[in-house]
Amino acid sequence: MTVEPALDARLAPRPDAAAKASGATLYAADLPAPEGLLEVVLVRSPHPRARVVRVSTAEAVAAPGVAAVVTAGDLPDALAGRRVRDMPLLARDVVRFSGEPVAAVLAGTRREAESAAALVEVDYDELPPVLGAERALEGRPGTVHDAPWEYPGAVAGEDAGPNVQSVVAEGDRAGVAEALGRAAHAVSAVYRTPSGQHGYLEPHAWVAVPLAGGRRLRLWGTTKSPYRLRDQIVACLGLDAGAVEIEPVPLGGDFGGKGDVVDASLCAALARHTGRPVRLLLRSAEDLAATDARHPSVIAVRLGCDGSGRFVGLEVDAVFDGGAYAAAKPIPSVNLHGALECALGYRFPVFSLRSRVAYTNTLPKGHMRAPGAPQVVFAVESAVDELAAAGGFEPADLRRRNLLHDGDADAYGHRWPEARGIQTLDAALAAAADAGDGSLAAVGTGVVGTGVAVYARPTPLPQSTSLQLGRLPDGRLEVAVPIPETGTGNHAVVQVQLASALGVAPDTVVVRQVSTGSLPRDPGVGGSRVTVGMSAAVARLAEAWREGGGQGTVSVEVPAGSGAPALAYCAQVARVAVDPETGELRVLAVVTAVDVADIVRPRSHQLQIDGGTVMGFGFASMEDLLEDEGQVWASNLGEFRIPSAADVPALRTVLVTGGRGVGEANVKSVGELANVPTAAAIANAVFDATGVRIRTLPVTAEHLWSALQERAAAAAGAGSLP
Amino acid sequence: MRLRFTLNGEPQELDASPTASLTEVLRSLGLTGTKEGCRIGVCGLCTVLVDDLPVSSCLFLAPCAEGRQVWTVEGLARRDPAVVAAFVEHEGMQCGICTPGQVVMASAARSELGAGAAEAEIREYLIGNLCRCTGYQSIVMALGSVVAG
Repeated sequence: MTVEPALDARLAPRPDAAAKASGATLYAADLPAPEGLLEVVLVRSPHPRARVVRVSTAEAVAAPGVAAVVTAGDLPDALAGRRVRDMPLLARDVVRFSGEPVAAVLAGTRREAESAAALVEVDYDELPPVLGAERALEGRPGTVHDAPWEYPGAVAGEDAGPNVQSVVAEGDRAGVAEALGRAAHAVSAVYRTPSGQHGYLEPHAWVAVPLAGGRRLRLWGTTKSPYRLRDQIVACLGLDAGAVEIEPVPLGGDFGGKGDVVDASLCAALARHTGRPVRLLLRSAEDLAATDARHPSVIAVRLGCDGSGRFVGLEVDAVFDGGAYAAAKPIPSVNLHGALECALGYRFPVFSLRSRVAYTNTLPKGHMRAPGAPQVVFAVESAVDELAAAGGFEPADLRRRNLLHDGDADAYGHRWPEARGIQTLDAALAAAADAGDGSLAAVGTGVVGTGVAVYARPTPLPQSTSLQLGRLPDGRLEVAVPIPETGTGNHAVVQVQLASALGVAPDTVVVRQVSTGSLPRDPGVGGSRVTVGMSAAVARLAEAWREGGGQGTVSVEVPAGSGAPALAYCAQVARVAVDPETGELRVLAVVTAVDVADIVRPRSHQLQIDGGTVMGFGFASMEDLLEDEGQVWASNLGEFRIPSAADVPALRTVLVTGGRGVGEANVKSVGELANVPTAAAIANAVFDATGVRIRTLPVTAEHLWSALQERAAAAAGAGSLP
Repeated sequence: MRLRFTLNGEPQELDASPTASLTEVLRSLGLTGTKEGCRIGVCGLCTVLVDDLPVSSCLFLAPCAEGRQVWTVEGLARRDPAVVAAFVEHEGMQCGICTPGQVVMASAARSELGAGAAEAEIREYLIGNLCRCTGYQSIVMALGSVVAG
């Protein structure tokens, strides 16, 4: 059946809004402390690579309030990870990144634990760190792990070469070289993007309570995928399948950063070791400098077209810095699936992609909102503009000549019945050209320019999940869901869908996350799949409820969906002003056009677009963890700057309606679209304004000023030739 | 040390460490709407009112609250439900971790900004209250509707 949301349900207030706005919502760090709680503070390595010679804990153990100081030798010799189990809970003989935990201090209060942590003395024998993904893949100056191919879940074999986390190769490299040799116009360039953090404002937090003498554990904490995390903890610690239960908690932001396998496994192990409840509350600075971050990248692109502007071939060779451990990456390839999306939106007769992820002695890297896509789309959409300049094409027109039409196959040979890239691009351009938009007419000081960029992403099929429905004593319906409310409004979406399917008012439907012991399965929040996945399950649940006469309790478990995924486009137009004297970049406006089918809850949909665009703007213009020599230098929110309300450009959205989506709700995903093309749109606008091509993010004033100076010097030099 | 102040309109007396932040003291009283964020006065998650002015309670030593009027989001939500209603109506939130701080700012904005505040003034006013989810549009609208009364 198709669930068509009723208008009143679509426009109803978020069910969690009033509690959040009045401070009543309890996040993981807000939960009442269990009896006998020990607070955990971690002692972290200051060195990116070193042998741990000795850990002296005697002084810390004797400090006031301290119950235990735990080192690797006290815990099971266990490795944690989401796919590859390669990270120890506490460093055993070596540390592989600055920030890696070496010891855990447990005390009655956090202050006591922090004071005692300063008394733990660790002797290190420093080693030359492996830094820079390209050097690491050459094995210089050594290897981060002795035999990474032996880790459970490892995908790169011994023959893959040194320091390889993962290699994905697609397409025909020789074919591209041959095609580019025949191209009328071709470009070849290398693009670089920095390390960054998700920027959620809630630091990671975990509470673990041992039961039955430590044979069972209950955990509360910051995870986006409780069911998978439960299985990962059990695998890490070698426990029985039913030994771990993860309790419901809303998240204070995720964006891919709340996988939490190591923190949660460590807390479980500490609770078992001490026999007492433990709590780990990361400080914000610690969270920035020691939890998984976005992969920095070096991406080489070669792209060519014929005389009429038709692409003849694309080669993308991406090297990602995966950091010291692959533990945070959740997908079977242990790669960044967004890297593969660089070629989805256009026709390429021949194409090749290689995406290599390297081990280095830096902060472990994980998945962040459309993992890999912001990096490769910055590179490829910049290269498209460079090709337009080389061939004398108008940038939007060059894209229009190559975007997929309905029924076209993408570079992987997959045919898309619906491909609305041209409509989406034209909608963005039309809105940007709209003279009625005062924000776009606002010209700052300096030179102004306009840039475009396009991104295409598949909306996935639903994965297997489960739901339960019953009636509360007050007569309202209560639907038990396996997913945490990460912030996106996913509980509100379930409320709208179920109220619509049953024909009841939305405020008579309560959505409640339940523990992992209460429902059989769920894949967690991620991959832009929640609305699609929940819509399939809600439709089955409503059917079952009606069949049961609307009484008692009904449960449904739905299999992974079959059918066809859909392709969703996002096109952005950025308008910038550059001060040529200082290099200051002002992004005046970003227009975002999004290819949509039906929209379940318009306000949640819009907030995903607005928030995504601002995240893309931050990636383009300000965010950088400044990882250098194995240290994170921007290790607090004053130095790792994310956009404030006063930083952001004027935002405008155009919805290209009427598309064909996926599943019962007929939707196209939106959560990981708008943050992707923004950086290329801004860099392309900077080129339009100044003639300077920026190939390294973020586009800071210093960086842009230097590029402007170099160009001026080159022009002067050229002018002085006889 | 002994500390006396007025908390959400009620007299409060407690023992506090001289180096405790106001965030720590408030959270130890169960007022967890005041969040611990960056701890350096940048993110705004811990914003409360002290004598009607918004402060980052992470940088405000608890002893400095002696004799003052402190309002947290919990108290303001009861005293000024229209502010909460504005954030619900405009959906000025997603994950909600920054929302208590934004609500405290909105409550103070009535007197600090006034009814005629331009959008740019509202955005400047919110510069110390970060949000990673929403892109700020809906928060600015919520705050605008509060100051417009």
